[in-house]
Amino acid sequence: MLRRFPLRWPGGPGGALGGAAGTLYVIFIGLPVVALLARAAQQDDLWSAVTGDLALTALRLSVVTSLISIAVVIVGGTPIAYILARSNHWLARVVDGLVELPIVLPPVVAGVAMLMAFGRDGLVGGLLRDAGADISFTTTAVVFAQIFVAAPFYVRSAKLGFQSVALDYEEVSQTLGMSPLATFRRVTLPLAAPAIITGLGLSWARALSEFGATMMFAGNLLGETQTMPLAIMTAMETDLDSALALSALLLAVSVLALAALTLASRRRWTGRV
Amino acid sequence: MDAIHGCRGWLHCRMGGFDLRLDWDVEPGQALVLFGPSGAGKTTALRAMAGLLRPVDGVVEIDGRTVYDGSARIWLPAHHRQVGYLTQQYHLFPHLNVMQNVGYGPAKRTAESLRRISELLDSFELAGLEERYPWELSGGQQQRVALARALATEPRLLLLDEPFAALDAGLRRTVRQELRTMLALNPVPVILVTHDREEALSLGDEVQVIDGGQVIDRGAPVDVLGQPGQAEVARLVGVENLFHMRVESRQPRDGTMRLSGTGAEAGFTLETPLGGRQGASSEEEWITVGIRASDIILSSGEPVGSSARNRIPGLVARVEPRPPGYTVELDCGVPLICQVTGASLDEMGIRVGQPLWAVFKASSCFLVQDGPAIHGENRPDGEFRNLDYPQ
Repeated sequence: MLRRFPLRWPGGPGGALGGAAGTLYVIFIGLPVVALLARAAQQDDLWSAVTGDLALTALRLSVVTSLISIAVVIVGGTPIAYILARSNHWLARVVDGLVELPIVLPPVVAGVAMLMAFGRDGLVGGLLRDAGADISFTTTAVVFAQIFVAAPFYVRSAKLGFQSVALDYEEVSQTLGMSPLATFRRVTLPLAAPAIITGLGLSWARALSEFGATMMFAGNLLGETQTMPLAIMTAMETDLDSALALSALLLAVSVLALAALTLASRRRWTGRV
Repeated sequence: MDAIHGCRGWLHCRMGGFDLRLDWDVEPGQALVLFGPSGAGKTTALRAMAGLLRPVDGVVEIDGRTVYDGSARIWLPAHHRQVGYLTQQYHLFPHLNVMQNVGYGPAKRTAESLRRISELLDSFELAGLEERYPWELSGGQQQRVALARALATEPRLLLLDEPFAALDAGLRRTVRQELRTMLALNPVPVILVTHDREEALSLGDEVQVIDGGQVIDRGAPVDVLGQPGQAEVARLVGVENLFHMRVESRQPRDGTMRLSGTGAEAGFTLETPLGGRQGASSEEEWITVGIRASDIILSSGEPVGSSARNRIPGLVARVEPRPPGYTVELDCGVPLICQVTGASLDEMGIRVGQPLWAVFKASSCFLVQDGPAIHGENRPDGEFRNLDYPQ
């Protein structure tokens, strides 16, 4: 994108205060990251630790489950977000309030709650077992936990994205002969795309870092429910070097994903939506 | 394009606090103007015709096809109605360039449709701007892109919602002219919503004045908006001078009558066209009369040898700029609002306190009734005509 304006920094006490606070903030965030990487780099066998069985098993599980979770969140969350953005029905308002509940709910509590619902002795656990689906302490439980904690971030962001698209655009598109579905695909979705992609990033990051609910509801079984965060915690108890290697790996994956999303969510157009 | 038929129908919509009722019949190439203040229901009417809003009842027929019939439960959604709808802010798709905006629509990308699009771009003087995005266009260009986009789908009805509201005054006149030309080349029925009197006069073949959801006046724009026959319409149109006066005498031979004011306005008399209840009885007759500020001529001395029947002396009470000229308020016992150009203002050296004469013809005075006035065709008030024409 072209830079149309000269670089600016606000003057006065606000500018100075902002500058000082900003510097501290960058140090506060940056220092631990640098420390982690520095300590990890001191290891002689970093590479073998990162490419070791333990790390790759956990990484594979984390990536696969979080991608499945995100796919489910997109398929289910997009229509929900659209309805929440457009409807003023009381039912939509109720759902709107509930959607954000998992954001404020401590993940450990979420895990316990899910265990009480879908666990072996849970509310519907018996029914599920009769149907041949035993969920708790399986990879499915990992996905359940991730969806539970990550979905709100996507739905919230996508809802704001849809709300930012004036209804008039959809109406004009329809008068031009486009069905509501074609209108959604050709107008609403592209215009809401930046917010949707941002939501996707937040949601995926949340799924990838999910720990508490997974621990409670899915357990810590190697290769089955032991995702990266759980593997790091487990390694931390016995072998700091291994934990550092895993942490550095997860950090790298996260930073790459964040960079890709930032690039993808850049608007090529401007102006009022 | 095959010859297309007109658009007609009637609607009853429920909006917020009141009901909206109107009926219309527009031929291709003709423009019906819905004139009224904001909140009167004009936009609601357009949206109901376009299929963006469900009316309580009614019939909408576009190009000989019934797209809505309340009693027959016919309802075609907007994307099947073939209606061009131009909104106030145009709503050009910001993620699409000019070419993609105009080419939006389900038409297949055939050589034929591409040719039509490039023709439209040419005739709207948009050639060369195909790659631009909406935010890179001026207001006038945006308006033309929006219009080209609407016409590209070959609509059978064109709905224009305050199409010039977002343009500055200078551009408005030019674009209005262009629109006239475009409509001559693409003869579709047009229904245009506006609260601008000039717009209604220059574009409308028929005007309906809407207030509070009701059509309170209808007819040819010059009749309805030039010398409105109804107090409510006169107020909406912005007639500057409205006086409630007593009938003194009638001169049937001249077709005029003499009115006078009372009290503080006792000295104020007017000669106006004949009207009101004829065969006067003994009781006093009161009449409301309107005079447009632009119909009044100001003179520094008493005009001699003028055929204008009304010559009223007064003192200048106030001078205010009102583009394209100035408003002069003359105190003649009652305030009389006149409109002069900047040149006249300078030439006559008009200033507050100066004595001047206001001169205007009897025919510049028009009588304003409190009841509904109907110009042209006589239509029963509040009732809708049956739509029993051949399909």
